[in-house]
Amino acid sequence: MRFTRITIIVFIFINIWSCASSQSPRDISNYSVPVDNFSKTVELLVANEEFLEEEILKINAQSPSVQRILISADDLLIKQKFLQANSELERAYRITKQDGALYLRLAHLRYKQGLLQESESFASKGLLLSDISSWERLLLNVYLKN
Amino acid sequence: MKFKLTIGFLIGSISIIILIFLSAVVAVIDYRVTAKLDGVLWTIPAKVYSRPMELAEGLKLNQDNLTRELEMLSYERVSNPDRPGQFYLSNNSLRIFLRGYQDQRSGIFDVEFEQSQIKKISNQLGIAEDLIKLEPIVIGGMYPAHMEDRVLLNWPEVPQILIDTILTVEDQNFFNHYGVSPKSISRAFLKNIQAGEVEQGGSTITQQLAKSLFFSSEQTIRRKVMEAIASLLIEYHYSKEEILLAYINDVFLAQSGKRAIHGFGMGAQHFFGTSIKNLSTDQIAMLVGMLKGPSMYNPRRNPINATARRNLVLKVLNRSNKIDDSNFESLKNKPLGLSAPNYKTETRYPAFHDLVRLELQKNFDEEELRTTGLAIETNIDPVLQESLENSIRETKEQLIKKYGTQLNDLEGSAIAVDITNGEIKSVVGSTSPSSFGFNRSINAIRPIGSLVKPFIYLTALDKYNEYNLTTILDDSELSLVSGGKVWEPDNFDKKFHGEIPLHIALWQSYNIASARLGLKIGFESVEKMFLNLGIQKAVPKYPSMFIGSFELSPYEAIQAYQTIAADGFYTPLRSIRQIKDTKGQLEFSYPYSIEQRIRPEPVALLKFAMQQTFIRGTARGYPLDKIESWNAGGKTGTSDDQRDSWFVGFAGELLVLVWLGFDDNRPTPLTGRTGAFQVWKNYINAINPVKSNKNTLPRIEYVWTDMRDGLLSGKKCKNSLLVPFIKGTEPKTIPSVRRKCANKLDRANSGALDKLRKVFERGQG
Repeated sequence: MRFTRITIIVFIFINIWSCASSQSPRDISNYSVPVDNFSKTVELLVANEEFLEEEILKINAQSPSVQRILISADDLLIKQKFLQANSELERAYRITKQDGALYLRLAHLRYKQGLLQESESFASKGLLLSDISSWERLLLNVYLKN
Repeated sequence: MKFKLTIGFLIGSISIIILIFLSAVVAVIDYRVTAKLDGVLWTIPAKVYSRPMELAEGLKLNQDNLTRELEMLSYERVSNPDRPGQFYLSNNSLRIFLRGYQDQRSGIFDVEFEQSQIKKISNQLGIAEDLIKLEPIVIGGMYPAHMEDRVLLNWPEVPQILIDTILTVEDQNFFNHYGVSPKSISRAFLKNIQAGEVEQGGSTITQQLAKSLFFSSEQTIRRKVMEAIASLLIEYHYSKEEILLAYINDVFLAQSGKRAIHGFGMGAQHFFGTSIKNLSTDQIAMLVGMLKGPSMYNPRRNPINATARRNLVLKVLNRSNKIDDSNFESLKNKPLGLSAPNYKTETRYPAFHDLVRLELQKNFDEEELRTTGLAIETNIDPVLQESLENSIRETKEQLIKKYGTQLNDLEGSAIAVDITNGEIKSVVGSTSPSSFGFNRSINAIRPIGSLVKPFIYLTALDKYNEYNLTTILDDSELSLVSGGKVWEPDNFDKKFHGEIPLHIALWQSYNIASARLGLKIGFESVEKMFLNLGIQKAVPKYPSMFIGSFELSPYEAIQAYQTIAADGFYTPLRSIRQIKDTKGQLEFSYPYSIEQRIRPEPVALLKFAMQQTFIRGTARGYPLDKIESWNAGGKTGTSDDQRDSWFVGFAGELLVLVWLGFDDNRPTPLTGRTGAFQVWKNYINAINPVKSNKNTLPRIEYVWTDMRDGLLSGKKCKNSLLVPFIKGTEPKTIPSVRRKCANKLDRANSGALDKLRKVFERGQG
């Protein structure tokens, strides 16, 4: 009787385990990056700054108010007006400090400014957020390699 | 013949001399006219502003603090806002008629709140708006030696009604004369002859400008002649618009302490707390009315005179058909509507000003600051600043009631900063915060007492293969020779506590355990940690520094604690955000800078121990849910003989440090808890910080441990506490006495269950 009970518990446990393990991270699928192309994408992110920037500017903020500021900051970043872009990003940062999109831009802006250590620190700080997607996580990791 | 020649020669000579003299006088006046009008008149002191408040969807915000800020900005609370500068606030919504600032247009906006967060912002048409901006408060300026203060207006910024009022009242013939109006002079001359004294002036606007620029106010023939020459020269060199604009920018309106208020732009700020474009006709009439006698018609000192004079100006406007009868009737019955004098234009918050000035001196010279009209946007939050000032002032009064007049001279300092981006939100440098003088926030270098202990413990926790929160420390009697003397530290309670877990030694602030820990990890490691925290000073190599003989200013101490509160990310503290020129272009900025100095996991362990200070240590008293929602943590500090009382604590997004003590370093009856913590508490209670988000670190897990031996325990065991560990460093053994009460399921994250939980978490994203 005891053996049966243990067998049933083990069986349920193994089932739960296998179901849970088969859950895929939420946003890799959203991005629809084919698995065999994924490593190439990562390589490209590291090697091609323009591609990296394009990908970062695609990341939207979680709230419309922050997004509105990010649009303005992105525009200034593209025009190489780094001081003004930073000023806008800091405005957004005062509204929320929990948005991965912001840390990505701050890390990228500092990278463009040649402040590599700061860029890495912003990326590290972004990685502490609990509510960021795996794609954002991956992009932030790119700056840790600088 | 000889005689005639001599007479002729003399007359000729005298004529030539007079001509040369007159030419020289005219040349001198001409030089002064052009130099002054091209130079000094257009020099404007740099203005220092608070941060402009931005309201955005999703922003966490304390509604009471918003109301206080609106009051400070002289927004009027009404039931139906229908003109700029009014608002209506109900439980969960705000309707505000914004005055407009920079790119923020004036208009009515509705803001909805939900649990201390802005849920929605919409304009008058009901269309959603993401962001609205309130104007900042002017908190002071960098004044030149002559202390003239002005807000320079350009021609397009001058309201038509101001031009109409000035011309109607002061010089109706302005566009038709050449600086001097013989008609006006003869009319005034006849009047004065009849009266037997100088009763009436016939001065044109150009003459008034000449007078205010170059000459004293005495009524003499010589001055009148000089004034007339200067007026003609001004008319010769400048257009009518330029003259009128110079007059509008330069005319003297009031004296405020040592500061002279010049021009209508500054006048609007000084008396109404807003820019000239926002003034109504009656307010402009009041300012123009003051020209006749700035002191006699000063609305703050002589409101009756000022009202009568304003109404006379309105009457003149009505007679000249500039305003209609009904408008005149309603305007003359309006109150003066002045702003509160303290809130708008005076230089205040002296300790904060010191920080701003120190920062500016690195990049700007004094001359530039005093003359080029820079707009310095700072990080000061005026509501937080006022609250901090009130807290230190009121706490001192409470302490005097409790401990008597021995605390009459008690001094202090307090600083509040945004943990993450290092923005300085408020600073006081004295228990009389509004007085200028010795700024203790940067200049009082004092022993920091137990405030040093978290630095020592962090040094140990950073060596996470050797130390964790339950590592057993030795709090037994210690005696050693230091500098040729025997050093025997004791605890505040004069007891020895034997072997105790590290986290308890920290929140109980045991001196001997801390000294032994410091000695064990060594001066070099500690010095390295100090550097990482942002402390620039060399670490003195004597053991008493481990328990607080180390000296720092409040500013230096809070900088170090910022690195801890921000999870190991060092950010230099900033009082200034950015500096703009007179055209609103960014001239200089002080960007958010960051450097990861310490791994976040050891810092998380330290912050846990600092949170225990609130739950069961020297800062106890707050409900647990409050402590958790604020992610609060702190540390008290008391130096030898209670000469210094310190408290540093973080709550929400704010880190606040307080120091109390005497300037002459004599002992106080205060500990960190009974002194500085009371200021902190009064401040935090007044501002009630909003909740802060807590980052979760995947490498941290919580395990039930025993509070005496630090070994594994269970939720149901006595003296057990859920303690964080860096994975793999948690204690592994459960003493046999606790095997029954310790249930494996009590361990929040362990073994297979932990893996299962992680898999589910990943699945949920």
